Amino acid sequence: MLTIQTPEAVMFWFLAPLAVISAIGMLLVKKAVHSALLLAWVMITLAIFYIAQDALFLGIVQIVVYTGAVMMLFLFILMLVGVDASDSLTETIRGLRPIAITAALGFGGLLVSLIGRATLGREAAGLVDANSEGNVQALAKLLFSTYVWPFEVVSALLITAALGAMVLAHHQRSVPRATQREQAIARFRGASLGSAAGLPNPGVFARHNAVDVPALLPDGSAAPNSISATLKARGDMLESTQFELSEVDNTVTEEK
Amino acid sequence: MTFTAPVLNYAQLAPMLIVLGGALIGVLIEAFGPRASRHASQLFITVASLVAAFAALVRVRNQSSVDAAMGSVGFDGAGVLLQGTILIIALLSVFLIADQENFTALAAAVPGSSEERESLQLDLRVTEVYPLTLFAVAGMLLFPVSTDLITLFVALEMLSLPLYLMAGLSRRRRLMSQESALKYFLLGAFSSAFLLFGVAYLYGYSNSVTFAGIQASITGGSGNDVFLLLGIAFISVGLLFKVGAVPFHAWSPDVYQGAPTAITGFMAAATKVAAFGAILRIFYVAFANAEWQWKPALVLIAIVTMVFGSVVAITQRDVKRMLAYSSIAHAGFLLAGVIALSKSGLDASIFYLFAYGIATVGAFGVVTLVRDSAGEVTDLNRWSGLGKRSPLVASVFAFFLLAFAGIPLTSGFIGKFSIFSAAYETGSTAILIAGVLSSAIAAFFYIRVIVLMFFKDPVEDGTSVVIPSALTTTTIAVTSLITLILGIFPAPLINFIESSAFFIR
Amino acid sequence: MTTSTSLVYLIALPLLGATILLLAGRRSDKWGHLLATALSASSFGVGLYQLSQMLNRPTEERGVSQKLFSWISVGSFNVDAGLLLDQLSICFVLLITGVGTLIHIYSISYMSHDENRRRFFAYLNLFIAAMLLLVLGDSYLNLYVGWEGVGLASYLLIGFWNQKPAYATASKKAFVMNRVGDMGLSFAIMIAFATLGTVSFSGVEEASHTASKAALTAIGIMLLVAATGKSAQFPLQAWLGDAMAGPTPVSALIHAATMVTAGVYLIVRSNFIFDAAPTAQLLVVIVGAITLMFGALVGTAKDDIKKALAASTMSQIGYMVLGAGLGPAGYAFAIMHLLTHGFFKAGMFLGAGSVMHGMNDQVDMRRYGALRKFMPITFITFGLGYLAIIGVPPFAGFYSKDAIIETAFNAGGVKGILLGGTALLGAAITAFYMTRVMVLTFTSKERWEDNQHPHESPILMWLPMAILAIGSVTTGFLFTRGHALVNWLSPVVGEHAESEEMLLQPMVVSGLALLAVAIGVAIAVMKYQRADVETVAPQNVSIFTRIARKDLMQDSFNEAVFMRPGQALTSLLVKGDENVVDGAVRGIGRTALGAGASLRKTQTGFARSYAALILIGAIALIAGIWVVTQ
Repeated sequence: MLTIQTPEAVMFWFLAPLAVISAIGMLLVKKAVHSALLLAWVMITLAIFYIAQDALFLGIVQIVVYTGAVMMLFLFILMLVGVDASDSLTETIRGLRPIAITAALGFGGLLVSLIGRATLGREAAGLVDANSEGNVQALAKLLFSTYVWPFEVVSALLITAALGAMVLAHHQRSVPRATQREQAIARFRGASLGSAAGLPNPGVFARHNAVDVPALLPDGSAAPNSISATLKARGDMLESTQFELSEVDNTVTEEK
Repeated sequence: MTFTAPVLNYAQLAPMLIVLGGALIGVLIEAFGPRASRHASQLFITVASLVAAFAALVRVRNQSSVDAAMGSVGFDGAGVLLQGTILIIALLSVFLIADQENFTALAAAVPGSSEERESLQLDLRVTEVYPLTLFAVAGMLLFPVSTDLITLFVALEMLSLPLYLMAGLSRRRRLMSQESALKYFLLGAFSSAFLLFGVAYLYGYSNSVTFAGIQASITGGSGNDVFLLLGIAFISVGLLFKVGAVPFHAWSPDVYQGAPTAITGFMAAATKVAAFGAILRIFYVAFANAEWQWKPALVLIAIVTMVFGSVVAITQRDVKRMLAYSSIAHAGFLLAGVIALSKSGLDASIFYLFAYGIATVGAFGVVTLVRDSAGEVTDLNRWSGLGKRSPLVASVFAFFLLAFAGIPLTSGFIGKFSIFSAAYETGSTAILIAGVLSSAIAAFFYIRVIVLMFFKDPVEDGTSVVIPSALTTTTIAVTSLITLILGIFPAPLINFIESSAFFIR
Repeated sequence: MTTSTSLVYLIALPLLGATILLLAGRRSDKWGHLLATALSASSFGVGLYQLSQMLNRPTEERGVSQKLFSWISVGSFNVDAGLLLDQLSICFVLLITGVGTLIHIYSISYMSHDENRRRFFAYLNLFIAAMLLLVLGDSYLNLYVGWEGVGLASYLLIGFWNQKPAYATASKKAFVMNRVGDMGLSFAIMIAFATLGTVSFSGVEEASHTASKAALTAIGIMLLVAATGKSAQFPLQAWLGDAMAGPTPVSALIHAATMVTAGVYLIVRSNFIFDAAPTAQLLVVIVGAITLMFGALVGTAKDDIKKALAASTMSQIGYMVLGAGLGPAGYAFAIMHLLTHGFFKAGMFLGAGSVMHGMNDQVDMRRYGALRKFMPITFITFGLGYLAIIGVPPFAGFYSKDAIIETAFNAGGVKGILLGGTALLGAAITAFYMTRVMVLTFTSKERWEDNQHPHESPILMWLPMAILAIGSVTTGFLFTRGHALVNWLSPVVGEHAESEEMLLQPMVVSGLALLAVAIGVAIAVMKYQRADVETVAPQNVSIFTRIARKDLMQDSFNEAVFMRPGQALTSLLVKGDENVVDGAVRGIGRTALGAGASLRKTQTGFARSYAALILIGAIALIAGIWVVTQ
C-alpha cells in the first residue's frame, strides 16, 4: 500500500490550492503576461509534486523544459507582439459563456464524482517498484527499449514541426540583398548627396533624448528621417519643437 | 542493471521507414537543392518512396507478428490492407497535389500584400508540401498498426501536424484557408488532450498501455469499470474527432472548404482510412470484451452521425461543404462496421474504406477542375448545366456521387451493402434502419446535384472546366475505373480481404 | 438447369457496339450505324440459335443459365452476376433484338441527316444491351442493373435532341418519374433480402412458399410501384406523353415495344410473389384497369399523332397489366398481348415517323389528310397495325386482347363483370380513337399547310414497317394455334388454369368485343370522315374534352401529389435547418442551462463554439458512464 507521509500531505494541501487558484487566475486575468506567469507557476507547482513523488527526472524536466524554455518563449513572443496588445474579450456568440461555464462545472463535477466511485481492485504499483533501478535509468530503459519506436518517430514529428515553422514564417528573398558596395554606390549616385554620409541620429535634448524625437538640422528644422520608419508609421513620432530650450518654462520659484 | 538492446523487425517496418526516409530526403532537398529543379525532384522522391513503400509492403504481406517494434506495432493482415489502402490513396492524392495551382506561392506572405504579388510573379512554390505529405503518410501508416496507446498518440500527432499546416496553404481565399488551418489545429489539440486523458485513465485501470494488456485487464480485472469507461470515452472522443463523427464533427465542413482541394481530398480519404483503422483495431482488440459497455453509446453516435450528416448536407450550397457533410454521414456508416465487431464487420469496413477513399480522391480531383478566373468554383449554383458544357467531367462527378449514394454498379453499393449486412447479422437492427433511411436522404442530395448539372441551364459567368494536367487526369481516370470495377467485379477484392483481414492480438 | 456459355454474347454484342462507337468518336461516323445494326442483328441471330437449342430440349430442361462471376459475396449473402434464359425471357430476347434490329435499319435512313447519327446508334445499342440484361438477369439485383441501364439509355435517347429546351424538360420528367419507380424496386429488393434472405428469382420463389404473407404483399406492392414507373401506369404515367419529344424510332423501340413493357415482365416474372399475395395482385388489376381507361380517354383528345399513339400504348399496357394481375389464367395472355403489341405498335410508330418524314415533321393530325394516295405503303402497313390494335379478326390484336377480356370476365363475381366491362369499354374507345387517327391522317380531305409535298419514304424505312406489319397480321394466329404460347410459358408462369365456371362463353365475349369495336369505328367514321375537320382544335368544347386534352389533369395531379410535397419537403428541410436545429439548440440553451441566452447555429464558424460542442459531447459520454456505474 502506498503510504503518504505527513510532510508530503502538508505540502500538497499547501501547494494544491495555490496551483488551482493560479490556473483559474490564468483564465481570468486580463493581461497576457500575467496569464503566462501564472501558468509558469502552475507548472512549477506540478514539478514540485513530481519531485515529491520521487519522479525526480520528470520534475526537473518539467522545470527546465516547460517553465524554463517553453514559458519563456511564450513571454518573448508576448513581448515581441507587444505587451499591451490585448484581445477583445467581448463574447460575440450570445450565451456561449454561460454554456461553457456550466459545461466546465458539469464536466468537473461528473469527473470528480466518477473518480470517487472508482475502485482498482489491485494494489497500485507505486514508484518504489518503478524506481528500483534508479529513476533516470528506468526511464532510459523504457525509452530505449520498449518505447524505442515511438521515441524515434517523435523525431520525425519534431522535423515536421520545424519544417512547418519554416513554411509558415520564412520569407523567401525574391531579390538578392544589396551588398555594402552597392549600397554605397547607390547613396553617392542618388538624386541628392543629402544622405551620403548616412542618416542623422534622432534628436538629443536635455529634456528628452528618446528615439522618437527627430533631430534638428543645422538650420533648426526637424529631420523626420532621423527616426525609425516603424515609429513614424505607427504615428509615434514626437514634435521636436516642444523640447527646445526656449519652450521650457524657466521661471524659477524661490524656495523658502 | 541489465539492458537488452531492442529488436525491431525492419522488414515489417520498412514501409514506414521508406516513407520517412523519403520525407527526410525531401527536407534536405528543400535545404540544399537548387530551386529550379525542386518541384520535379520532390515529386520524384515522393512518388518513388510511396511506390517503394508499397513494394516493401507487398513483400511482407503474409507476415504477422505482435513484435514488429517491441510491442508497439502489430503487424497483421488488416494492418497490411489498411497500409496498402493508405499508400494507394496517398499516391493518387500526390498526383493532385502536384498540380501546384492549388497552393499559395509563399505561405509567409500576408494575404493581399505586395510580397504575395511578387512571389506569385516569380512563380515561387511551396514545395515543402511533398515532405509534409510524406510525414503525414508515415503517421497514417503507423496509426492503424499501433498496438500501444503511446504509439497511437504519437502517430495521431504525426499525421495531424502536417495536415494542420497544409490546410492553410491554399492559393486563393487565403484568409479562409488560414482560418480553417488554425481551427483545425486548435480543435485537434483539444481532442488530442481528451485522447491523452483517456490514455491516463486506461493506464490507471490496467497498469498497461498496450492493447493486449488492456484486454487482459478487462477479462481478468477485479475492480469496477469506472476508469475503463472513462478511458474508452475519452479515447473515443479523440479518435471520433479525426473521423468527423457527430458531435465532434464541427471542424470538418470549415476545414474541407478552406483547405486546398487536393489536400482536402487527401485528408478526407487517407485520414479516414487511418483513423478508422485505428478505431477498428482498438475496439476489436483492446475493448472487445467490454462490448456491452461501449456499444450503446457508439450505436447512438453512429445513428446521429449518419442522420445529421445526410440531413444537413441537403441544405449545403457549396460543393466542398456538401462533400464534407457527406463524409460525416459516411463516418456514421463506417461506425456500423465497428459496432458489428465481427469478422464480416472488419472485412466490410476495410472494403468500404478502400472504396470510399478512392471515390473521395476522385471526386475532389474533379472539384479542382471547375474554375473561373479567380480559381476554383465551389458554389453549387454555378455548377448548374455543367453536364451540357463538359459532359465527360460532369458524368465522372455524377458517377462518384452515385458511388457515395450507394447505387448498384458502383463500389459504394457493395460497400454499404456489406457493412449494413454485417451490422444486421450481429443484431444492430437500429443501425440498419437508420443507415437505410439516411442513405435514402443522402441519395436525395446526390441526385439533386446530378439534376443540377444535367438538367439546369448553364450559368454564363465564366465558370469553365479546365483541361486537366496529365497527373490529375491519371488520378481521376484511375479512381473512376476502380470505383466502376469494384462495383462490377468486387469479388476478387472481397475474397482477398476476407482471406487476409485479421487483427493479431 | 442446363448451363450455357453463350448467353453472354446476347448482351456483349450490342454492348461492344456501343463501346466502339462511343470510343471511336467521329472516326466511326461513316460506318458506325452499319456496325451497330449488324451487331444488333447478330444478337438476334444468337437469340434464334438459343431458341432452336431450346426447342430441341424437353420441356422441363429448356431454361439455361450462365454464371458470369460472383458479384457480391458478403458473409452468408451471395449474388452471382448470372444470366437466365427460359421460355419467358426468350420471348423478350427475340422481341427486343428483332424489333430492335428493324428499328436500327429504319433509323439509318430516318436519322441520315443528323450529324450525330453515330452517337444515336451507340445509344440504341446501349439500350438493347441494357434491356437484354434486364430480361436475362437471374436475380432481382441483376434485373435492377438492367432496369437502371435502360433508364439511362432512354434518358440519353429521349434527350438526344437536347438542344431544344422542351425535349430536355421531357427527359427530366421521365427521369424523375422513373426514380420514383426505381425506389419501389430497390425497396422491394431490400425487403426481399431482409425477410427472405435472398434476391435470386429461384431463391425467392422457393422462399415464397414459406414466407409471411405480409412480407410478400409488401414486396408485391413495391414491385408494382416499380412497374407503374417504368411502364407508365397510373399514377406514374405522365412522362410517356412528354417523352414523345424524342426521335420517332426511339418512341417505337422504347415507348412501344420494349422498355415500357418491362413492368409487365417484372410482374409476370414475379408471378410466385403475386400468386401468394392476393392484395398486391388485386392492386395490379386495379392499376391495369384504371390505366387502360385512362389511356383510351386521353387518346380520344390528342391531335399530335405521336401523343395519340403514346396514349394508346399506355392503354394497351394497361390491358397487359390487367392480364398479369389476373393470376395464372392471365400471365400468358399478358405476354401474348405484349408480343403482338410490340409488333403492331412499333409498326405504327414507324408509320407515324414515315408520315412526319413526308410532311416536314408536322405532327398535328388536323394538318394531315388524304395521305393514302401519296404514301400507299405507309398507309397499308399502318392500316394493318390499326386493324390489329382495334382487334379485328384475324389480326394479332384480336387474339391477344380478346383473351384478356375473356379472362377478365371470368375472374369471377362482381369483380369479373367490372373488369370485363372496363376492358370491353376500353376496346370500344380504342376503336374510336384509332379510327380517328386513321381517318384524320389517311382518308379524310387534305388539310395541309402550304409547301407540303408528301412523299413515300425510302425502302430502308418502309421495309421494317412492312416486316412489322406482317408480324401484326400473323403473330396472333401463330401464338394461339393449339395454345402454343400458353403451353410454352406454362413451366415459368404456372399451369394455365381455365376457370371452373365461365361467366360468358368465349364466342359471346368475342362477339361483344367485335360489337364494341364496330360501334367505336362507326362513331369515328361518322364524326371525322363524313364531316369537315377543323385545322385548329375547336375551343368551345365540353368540359370533358378539355379535361381529356389536358391528359385528364395528370399534370395537375402530379403537381399536387409529387411536386408540391417535394417542394414542401425541401423548404421544410431548409426551414428545419434554420428553425428546428437552431431552435433546438436555443431550447437547450434556455431550458437545460437556464442561461436565457441561446446558441446560434451549431456551425457558427467560431472555433470556441466547436470546442464547446466537443466538450458537450464528452460530457454526454461521461454522463452516460455516470448513469451506468451507479
